[in-house]
Amino acid sequence: MNSMTREALWERLRDGALVEGALPERGEARSPWFVRAMLGFSGWIGALFLFMFVGAFFTFAMENAFAAIGIGAGACAAAALLFRSGRKGDFSAQFAFAVSLAGQGLMLYGLGKWFGKEIWLTALAMAAVQAALFALVPNFLHRVWAAWTGAAALAFVLSDLRLYTLAPPLVTAAFVWAWIREFDFGARAAQLRAAGYGLALASMQVTLMHGDLWVRWFVGRDSGPLGGWIGYWLGAALSAAVLVWAVLALLRREGVALGSGPGRIALAGAALLGLASLKASGVGPAAALLVVGYANGNRVLAGLGIVALLGYLSHYYYSLQATLLEKSAILAATGVALLVARAALHLWWPKQTEAGDA
Amino acid sequence: MANPRDEILDWVEQGRLAPQNLRRALDAAAVLPSTDQWRRFLDRLLAFMGVVLLAAGVIFFFAYNWNELGRFAKFGLVEAPILVTLVFVWRLGLGGIAGKAALLLAALLTGALLALVGQTYQTGADTFELFALWAAAILPWALLARFPAFWVLWLALANLALALYFLTFGLLFGMLFAPAKLLWLLFALDTAALVLWEALAASGIEWLRERWSLRILATASGAMATALAMSDVLGWRDSGGWGALAWLAWLAAAYAVYRRRIKDVYVLAGGVLSIVVVITTLLARHIRLHDAGSFLFIGLVVIGLSAAGGWWLTNVANEEERS
Repeated sequence: MNSMTREALWERLRDGALVEGALPERGEARSPWFVRAMLGFSGWIGALFLFMFVGAFFTFAMENAFAAIGIGAGACAAAALLFRSGRKGDFSAQFAFAVSLAGQGLMLYGLGKWFGKEIWLTALAMAAVQAALFALVPNFLHRVWAAWTGAAALAFVLSDLRLYTLAPPLVTAAFVWAWIREFDFGARAAQLRAAGYGLALASMQVTLMHGDLWVRWFVGRDSGPLGGWIGYWLGAALSAAVLVWAVLALLRREGVALGSGPGRIALAGAALLGLASLKASGVGPAAALLVVGYANGNRVLAGLGIVALLGYLSHYYYSLQATLLEKSAILAATGVALLVARAALHLWWPKQTEAGDA
Repeated sequence: MANPRDEILDWVEQGRLAPQNLRRALDAAAVLPSTDQWRRFLDRLLAFMGVVLLAAGVIFFFAYNWNELGRFAKFGLVEAPILVTLVFVWRLGLGGIAGKAALLLAALLTGALLALVGQTYQTGADTFELFALWAAAILPWALLARFPAFWVLWLALANLALALYFLTFGLLFGMLFAPAKLLWLLFALDTAALVLWEALAASGIEWLRERWSLRILATASGAMATALAMSDVLGWRDSGGWGALAWLAWLAAAYAVYRRRIKDVYVLAGGVLSIVVVITTLLARHIRLHDAGSFLFIGLVVIGLSAAGGWWLTNVANEEERS
């Protein structure tokens, strides 16, 4: 991270004929990500109390599914209006966020009551709600939340339809696509970035839970995926494929030839991790998070990737998909292979090559 | 010190920078990694992932094979990798990342070895002794390695050992019912570590300056302070208000240090969150909750407090950049 001032940065861009005119005024103050996380978390707590208020005040809403959905939709609409009204105060933003969350909670409650055992219908409806909210509410934090919960809801749909092995690769693919294209979207980039962060969180969550999302625990259904072992392998193969695709897309974006030293190393690493993902499904997505984050100069994403990897390893210990012996063999073999790849790195990609050297 | 990436993205949004020039602008500002930086990154990534996965594999292996192997085989299988790793450390030296990673691996393997000892010899030791011994055993290496991640591992072990000493129930669940003494001890340990680390970093020890390890420490310290305050508010244990006092003292100290002297907005944000949580708990405890209105009141207080906190934090964060 360089430590240029704004002025120096603007100067440099002007020298490169990329911008013209005077340095713009400092825009709306930017909050670091952990401040936004703090606000989001407090928003949840506030929303919880608002939800309880509505529950206590409108007791009929708790007994009638339609009333719950209606009031919930009303709350979300009110929140959207408040956000769009352009009032920039922090209090109104926080208040609207909490009201929206409470409204979403109410709708979820009502939909769940209405659809009952057909969880996938509830999840599909909620995904639609979150998509609408994403489009309508011009607030960054809210969009991240909408993207996250929308993707998670779609994963729930897949789970209930016993297609849960497909959820991790699909969510991860969407996440990778969003970030690789981050710089191509111009004016709408902020929306894409919000979606990107939301999808990153969803990808972590979905992968950590092997795409089950506790549906099996929740509903008590203990069936395997559709198609039995084919389902498992399809999902695993897709996860591996997504990782390799991510690396290919990155290499293409950076203009690195596939046959060059760097290209070979990158593909070798991706292939290795992809292989590992066949049996340890979280390794691929976590690595994708880390690499894509670094590629875009985004420390938050890269950090999330590290957290995801460590979290996945802890989770992997308890997962019942393979015996501990198999798991240990897979992990150790992958570890050794990665260290070998590192040795290859020193061989195929010596230091101080010129950029773009084949 | 501006964040170039964010500034450039802002300028695109304001329309001052054409979207098609975004990529070139980022390149000009050296925001995206260069080839050399990529190489270094991949080097480290492969090293660390390789080490971590390998260690995890070894640990899993021993969990599985507990009963089958004979004593000598077991010990040999654990001690051999440790020795091999130490040889690597000796050859690679502790100056570069490879040597440090290798030493970290050796430290992790030591845990496996100690677990094996405890299991094999049926010493009747409690779990906490395992972690305490582990921490003690790797202390000399921690001092040698000069590696923030190593110290974070060490402190995690120390915390675990203390926690397990006091708890009879399972770890996470038992924390809610932890005796007051445990909270105080953990608070003391984490805060002392934080203070010591910050002091040493400030006095010029370069490798200690890495912010993220410090933030992890501050999170632990703050969480314990918050737990102390909450246990006082909820009145579960008779700590006589000392917990709340300690929490207030922690907040004051955190403000003094992280606002005035060191300027780490992350810790301040943690402090704000802590205040929100404690005040919410206080209100929830003392307001009669069967009134719908009381929920609304608490909800509004939470929102108001966090909004105010967020506004203040954003101002602090941006004023750093202006200086």
